[in-house]
Amino acid sequence: MKHKRFLSFLTVVLAAALFSASAFAAGSYQDKDLPLGSSSEVLMVGEIEPTLMSVTIPSYVPFHISRSVEGENKVISPRVTILSHSGVPVNVDVAYTTVNLNGLKGTTWSDGQNVGENQIAIGFQPETLSNQLPTTLGQTKWLQANSPQYLNLTSLNPYGSSTLYVVGTLGAAVPEDSSFTVTPIFVVSKA
Amino acid sequence: MKTAIQSKWKKRLLPACAICVLLAAAVLLFTNRKLGDSLELADNATMGVLPGVDLAQRQAELQQQLDESMISFSINTSPVFETGGAEGNLMLENPASNAKLLVVEIYMDDTQELIYQSKALPAGSYIENTRLDKLLEPGSYEATAYFKAYREADHSYIGQVGADLTLSVLS
Repeated sequence: MKHKRFLSFLTVVLAAALFSASAFAAGSYQDKDLPLGSSSEVLMVGEIEPTLMSVTIPSYVPFHISRSVEGENKVISPRVTILSHSGVPVNVDVAYTTVNLNGLKGTTWSDGQNVGENQIAIGFQPETLSNQLPTTLGQTKWLQANSPQYLNLTSLNPYGSSTLYVVGTLGAAVPEDSSFTVTPIFVVSKA
Repeated sequence: MKTAIQSKWKKRLLPACAICVLLAAAVLLFTNRKLGDSLELADNATMGVLPGVDLAQRQAELQQQLDESMISFSINTSPVFETGGAEGNLMLENPASNAKLLVVEIYMDDTQELIYQSKALPAGSYIENTRLDKLLEPGSYEATAYFKAYREADHSYIGQVGADLTLSVLS
């Protein structure tokens, strides 16, 4: 008797489960039978994904400058590698450069390669030979001191990278036993 | 009797004097030799290669400093706000690889007004939606988000980078 009751209970449970599964499927996919020759509308929902920009970029760039360095470029610079981790092309600009020459008595800033005796000039140059400091100043993009400047340094392809070096020169009368600071602010934008 | 004592003293005194003379001569010889042949070592000298001489080493030190200053971040370049006071999808991220704290400040390009400032985002965190600190009228605005990096250990400032944005306020 008990066995019969259990079997009928199990049958009811299985039937209920089967019914609810087909109801769920019908709700999810909204299947329906179409008669031959008829038409039906299909709802397609497109969602616009926001454009994410993901980059890795230095927040400051340390460098040394010395007249004893051979060649036009007198700066010893690390490799400044900028990486894009997103699927959009990216521009890298310098928006503003804060320059403090208070430690170098009588020294002024120059916006280009031709420096006077008491002048100093700093800029960026793309890497042309792998792992080699530039020796010339021909391709340099020069920084302007303490004024807004939209200087495009480089452009990155989607998931691309770019390598730069700090370069520069100094006049013969610039004191060598002091330090100064150059703080460019990098700004990235969707190209 | 007297001569016997004198000769006894002479016998003792002479060898003693000879020993003294020999000792004095030895001390003098040793001192002169030390002054002539030895060099005093400088007590303010540092063992090693003079810093600045090795170009590759200097570059490696600079590279280490540069690596510490690298900032990784993500941001939505075109965030949308339903209204001026509503949340928008700024999607700010400080990836786990950063190992530094990030504070985000957004300034309007035309007025340089600060319209948003986050609290510090720890590495490996993000803010998907947030409200601006200033109510904006409907329209489109050019702005720049500055990511300011701070060391996790002592919260000292490292540096900052910027990202251009176009904010849209719908109504």
